[in-house]
Amino acid sequence: MDKTKCGHQWEMVNTRSGFIITEICHKCSLITTYFSSEEHPPLEEYRDGEHFWNVMSSSQSVQFDLRCRLCKTQVSFDELSALMLCTSCKKDCKVFELLERGQGHSVWVYVAFGFKPYKDKRQLTGEKLGILEDYFNMKRKSTKSSIKIVSHELIYDEDSCMGGFIMDEFLLSLDAPANK
Amino acid sequence: MPVTAKYIVEVKRIQEILNAKTWVSNISDSDYITGIYASDLMSDVLAYGKPGSMLLTGLYSVQAIISAYMAEFRGVAFIRNKTPEEETLKFAREKGMFVLSTASDMYDACIKLAGLETVIPEEAPEAEKIHKSDNLTTYTFKIDGNDFASAGMVSTRVKAILKSIGYEPEIIRRAAISIYEAEMNVVMHARKAEVTLTASDKEIYIIVIDEGKGIGDIDLAMQEGYSTATEEQRALGFGAGMGLPNIKKNADKLDINSVVDVGTRIEITFHIK
Amino acid sequence: MKLKDIIGSLSLNVLTNLDDKEVTGVYISDMLSDVMSNAKAGNLWVTIQTHKNIVAAANLIDISAVIVTQGTRVPEETIDLANRYNVIIISTNDSTFALSGKLYQIGIK
Repeated sequence: MDKTKCGHQWEMVNTRSGFIITEICHKCSLITTYFSSEEHPPLEEYRDGEHFWNVMSSSQSVQFDLRCRLCKTQVSFDELSALMLCTSCKKDCKVFELLERGQGHSVWVYVAFGFKPYKDKRQLTGEKLGILEDYFNMKRKSTKSSIKIVSHELIYDEDSCMGGFIMDEFLLSLDAPANK
Repeated sequence: MPVTAKYIVEVKRIQEILNAKTWVSNISDSDYITGIYASDLMSDVLAYGKPGSMLLTGLYSVQAIISAYMAEFRGVAFIRNKTPEEETLKFAREKGMFVLSTASDMYDACIKLAGLETVIPEEAPEAEKIHKSDNLTTYTFKIDGNDFASAGMVSTRVKAILKSIGYEPEIIRRAAISIYEAEMNVVMHARKAEVTLTASDKEIYIIVIDEGKGIGDIDLAMQEGYSTATEEQRALGFGAGMGLPNIKKNADKLDINSVVDVGTRIEITFHIK
Repeated sequence: MKLKDIIGSLSLNVLTNLDDKEVTGVYISDMLSDVMSNAKAGNLWVTIQTHKNIVAAANLIDISAVIVTQGTRVPEETIDLANRYNVIIISTNDSTFALSGKLYQIGIK
């Protein structure tokens, strides 16, 4: 089959669970994020060349590939750290603008985050973002709404962004829930 | 005769119904569980899980079995055919718990197990240690001397129980610190102990009764920094001699009775304002 | 099966706006990453999680409704966001395990 003409039907394969670890170097304040499938990701400070890494947070998550049922093309999404639903927290943000534009047609905008530092690590290409968007839209039943997936580069200020992340932060906590 | 629907199911039935692989058995043919708690959130296992249950979870970390142990569950079944970590299996063997895995997803496993509810006479074996009467709830826990790996678990469990009852965070914190210190004393100095927690709307009352070497001079033991801990225990960061003083500081009332070479009884009270 | 019929037969509490939707199957998990990779559109998602991030996962997969178990209180923030994204949140005092048995009894396979 000619792969370039295939009307791809994506399925998720090769899912691996692990942790998304965020670390900061206490010497130079550089922040790094990465995916670890180790049973016990690092907790203590450790030295790596000139950096002294300290864990800031670790969340459980999965990594996966998408494969086309028809032409068997397989695309890895190892560059994806997490998907986030834009909750339109800032008017100056380009993601918010996109959301405003799409809202009439019920287009919900998700932001795909890569791993930090962004300039040193391979990031998701526009083509891959398109594939991911196609995959989730094909899975949806509703014809009334669709989703759009954009790069984290569009975010106005990542540090103060209030969006809803799809990752699991507190599963291992043994503190009692404060509800009821 | 009054009858009540109770979940009492033999573990071997669970294995059959889930078509489960048994990783750690530790059970006899007649062993049973008295409930199922399906969750991936370990704090909820501690807060709402009932002793004697089985944890059904998709959380594959070793924390799953540790939480199940702290909630006094009999064992864990992992869904989606995951191979449990060696550390999980080791922990289960040590603590006498069972570990299963099944190909089912959570809903599939739940609906297969839900049909097993049995109607039994009221006076059937009661596996739960919780007794409730007139707004008074009592819980009992056991601590083994020298078991540093589990040290702190009773205090974590008590914290979860008090929080789910709805006490003020400040009193929960003081109670948790006190129990933690008492627990550490047992681990370091006694063979074993039983902790009884009674929670009412007037007070939280904790009794720790241990079998051990006892305390020769209670006044001396109450002094900050006085410690009979071994070098080895101190190297692990325990035995700073702040245990009893710390309990006294946090509790509203502390009573200590001790007989050398027999054991110690500590009563700690917190008044609810 | 229609969502309204399920809510009616099991006396569930609806916390958000309600559209009638067709429910196909149940997915139980307290892990958002698990829902993202394994749940299917139209599933009822049963969980004890109440953080606003559940809306992000439910909307992405086009879940028919989220059922929060164990009587867990759902924060205002989560409900507001759910209403904006047409995600339906329902609650029950039953545990996840007890609810599964009931859903099966009324015929959701």
